[in-house]
Amino acid sequence: MTTTQREDTSLQNYTVSSVRMEFDKFIVPTVTIFILLLLFFFMLFPLWMILKLSFFEGGELALANFTLNNFKQYFTTAYTLRSLWHSLYVSGVTTVIVTVIIFFFAYALTRTTIANKTFFRNIIMMPLVAPSIVQALALIYLFGRNGLITSHFFQTDWNIYGATGIIVSEVLYCLPHAFVILFTTLSAVDIRLDEAAESLGASPFKVFTRITLPSAKYGIISAAALTFNLTITDFGNPVVIGGNYSVLATEIYAQVTNLYRFDLGATISIILLVPSLGAFMLNYYISRKSFAMISGAARPFIPPTRRLKKILYSVYCYIIAFSIILIFATVIIGSFVKVWPYDWSLTLAHYKFPSIGGYSALWTSLWISLIVGIVGSFVTLVAAYAMETRKPYFKQVVYFFSVMPAAIPGLVMGLGFILAFNKPYYWFYGTPWIVVINIVICNFTLGILSSVSNLKNIDPSIEEASISLGGDTISTFFKIIFPLSRVAFIQNFTYFFMRSMTTISAVIFLVSATVHLAAIEIIMLDNDGWTASANAMCTCIIVIVFVMLGILHLVNKWVSKTSGREVMIES
Amino acid sequence: MKKHESSKVQLINVVKSFGDNTVLHGIDLEIQAGSLTTLLGPSGCGKTTILRLIAGLELPTSGKVFLGDEDVSVLSASLRDVAMVFQSYALFPHMTVGQNVGYGLKMQGVGKEEREQHVKEALDSVGLDGFQPRYIDQMSGGQQQRVAVARALILEPKVMLFDEPLSNLDSKLRRQMREDIRRLQQELGVTSVYVTHDQDEALAVSDDVVVMKEGVIAQQGTPKELYLQPNTKFVATFMGDANILKGEVIVGGEKSLLRIDNVEIATDKPMSVDLINKTIEIAIRPEALSLIPADDNAIGLPCTIISKAYIGAAIEYSVKWNGQDLFLVSATGNQEFAIGETAKVLITPPGIAPIPD
Repeated sequence: MTTTQREDTSLQNYTVSSVRMEFDKFIVPTVTIFILLLLFFFMLFPLWMILKLSFFEGGELALANFTLNNFKQYFTTAYTLRSLWHSLYVSGVTTVIVTVIIFFFAYALTRTTIANKTFFRNIIMMPLVAPSIVQALALIYLFGRNGLITSHFFQTDWNIYGATGIIVSEVLYCLPHAFVILFTTLSAVDIRLDEAAESLGASPFKVFTRITLPSAKYGIISAAALTFNLTITDFGNPVVIGGNYSVLATEIYAQVTNLYRFDLGATISIILLVPSLGAFMLNYYISRKSFAMISGAARPFIPPTRRLKKILYSVYCYIIAFSIILIFATVIIGSFVKVWPYDWSLTLAHYKFPSIGGYSALWTSLWISLIVGIVGSFVTLVAAYAMETRKPYFKQVVYFFSVMPAAIPGLVMGLGFILAFNKPYYWFYGTPWIVVINIVICNFTLGILSSVSNLKNIDPSIEEASISLGGDTISTFFKIIFPLSRVAFIQNFTYFFMRSMTTISAVIFLVSATVHLAAIEIIMLDNDGWTASANAMCTCIIVIVFVMLGILHLVNKWVSKTSGREVMIES
Repeated sequence: MKKHESSKVQLINVVKSFGDNTVLHGIDLEIQAGSLTTLLGPSGCGKTTILRLIAGLELPTSGKVFLGDEDVSVLSASLRDVAMVFQSYALFPHMTVGQNVGYGLKMQGVGKEEREQHVKEALDSVGLDGFQPRYIDQMSGGQQQRVAVARALILEPKVMLFDEPLSNLDSKLRRQMREDIRRLQQELGVTSVYVTHDQDEALAVSDDVVVMKEGVIAQQGTPKELYLQPNTKFVATFMGDANILKGEVIVGGEKSLLRIDNVEIATDKPMSVDLINKTIEIAIRPEALSLIPADDNAIGLPCTIISKAYIGAAIEYSVKWNGQDLFLVSATGNQEFAIGETAKVLITPPGIAPIPD
């Protein structure tokens, strides 16, 4: 090879690449506009349809049609109005209980030296692998009319249906979500503050109320707001265990499915949107603040805990872990016994699903979830890359619309989808693709936030080095950014996959005669009296999610081993 | 590797603002082809911004950037014939050394065999041939730095940019690396712009030094000019230690005569006649001062020794003259003075610079 040759080729390549660069200029704007269009069409447009239907006669946009009749009807009919009070009541009570329980649980795991912390941490996260209906199913088996504990052990007529049932099941459902926030907060706040106060002679009680609690206040408020939001928007648990005790979410469903009152369904959606949006905004505002509190000097070492305190906290943690295990064990065992709680002989009969969906619903859920996982984590990574490293003009707008989905209850979004896309020219309506789109949009926020925080961990000069060495946007993304984001990509995939397998509220309106989903089958089976089969379907989902978690765990290990170079920032 | 075709770099009235914050206020700068020019200044002075403007990682708010005769002011970084060595090295952690170095050629569509040949040459020039299959985290800090240099020079750029390339190395390695960079730069004859906040480093490697302060160029010149003839107090104190003394201008014009106390000093520096009989500040390097016994006949500044420190090759003294502390260095072997003793300070050029503003 001679020098002259080399010069010729490089000259040539520069001319080629300058054409490529002209094209390159359009990539980031195109991606930005694409993301914006996606969010406008699949988030704002459905929301707009709901607003239109609730505020305008017949949903026809005209000044003469403007009406508050729907709201008047809702607020003056005692039968429908009570769902609002019910929702506020169960959400309020659940919020208080969850926040208190989780605060001490997280405290035990971060500030004491109790044993088996990994065990507790894994158990508390378990509710994430199942649809938010597993709690209600289990509680009915334990405390229902024919419950193991109520009618079998104590022979009492008392049962858990109604507000109590909803609250207990929501508490058990919200634990992991609140835990993540408070665990982070309590690990981040510097434990030396407590020690300093103690060494200055403050009593343990005083240290707790004056130092520990105030230093975790943002985490506490944030966890409470999230719990409130999750509870008030949940559909699965109240529909199964609520009985006649209607809440906003079940009322929307009843109005739309049983009475075909889409206008009232839309109206109640707006009413549900107000408190859930409020809780979301509070959470969003607070969590931005609390990040500033995280101190780099936080010390992992925890001084040994006094014996009595240690025993009390251990017992406390075991009780909570046991409650969660009990829920899962009940559902799983319940799916394998002949007649709970009378005939305990084992059977697989409940796994011969009597419904139309059956196993095909499971397969549909599985492949939809795989697609949601890949599409969701890829789109959010691309969007985060375009926004974070290239800072296009609309960055703030894109960012704002990207966090919005988290504020919108899945049920509302689902209703909006029917209203918006129930037209013959939307080919995807009534196909699994509308489910894919809906789940990706509903979970867009967390996907984009975690992609952004991952990209912030990559030294910006790595990307600049690629650009400066002649890389265009697309090759920089695929050769540099994507490989360096593999671990985060797998995490995001896991999140999207789990959400897709377990979500009920987002897709309840989107299942049709042709599209059946496993999580919805649970409700259908339970509704038709096949409770044991509902448990069996639930067990199948749990198994699939666990298998996938196992696979992803191995993949993650393999990825970090082969690349082995997740050290992003040289120092 | 063969000599590069290098070109000069020119900035004309370049202003750069980030929002309301203007970091460069109209920079005019010319960097000679084939030279190594250092941008020196405290953090926040805009030196790195100039480097990034030349690289194309930032675009000027106004003004022009030329590479050779080509106006590249708004040209994309990918298309500039410029290569940069980043402060953090910015090596790709998921690639081997060979893949890192070959990345730029791969982006240009150079075939595998040819690429490997070039990678070998580039790594050879930094003494790392044979390390191709290693991953970045299997290399030491100094080796990573060399890989970063090889990755930049493989593209045979017309200009090489170094952003504080040695700041992550320990002091012994730093000295060796700066010599290696200088040697390589001279062998290849490539125009290089080098950013640092370390004045020793700047003096050691540069043909030309540009001292910056708060977004403007304070002074540009050879290391010797800047050390011996600083224009301002800022440059005088930033480029090493300086004693700032008050003195009077006796004769102005082409050459000047200054007087401090009763000591008269002739300098080569032209001085406006308007300043005659005015009091100005004069920067004097510690080496320009020496101590003689108090009873010596030569004319000097009477002083008292306050402290002394033995640092091997020399002794550093702090002395008090007329209420002012002076700092000076005396070679070991010269007459020693004890703390508290009175003496006289002799002032001998070079190292004396009037700084009239």
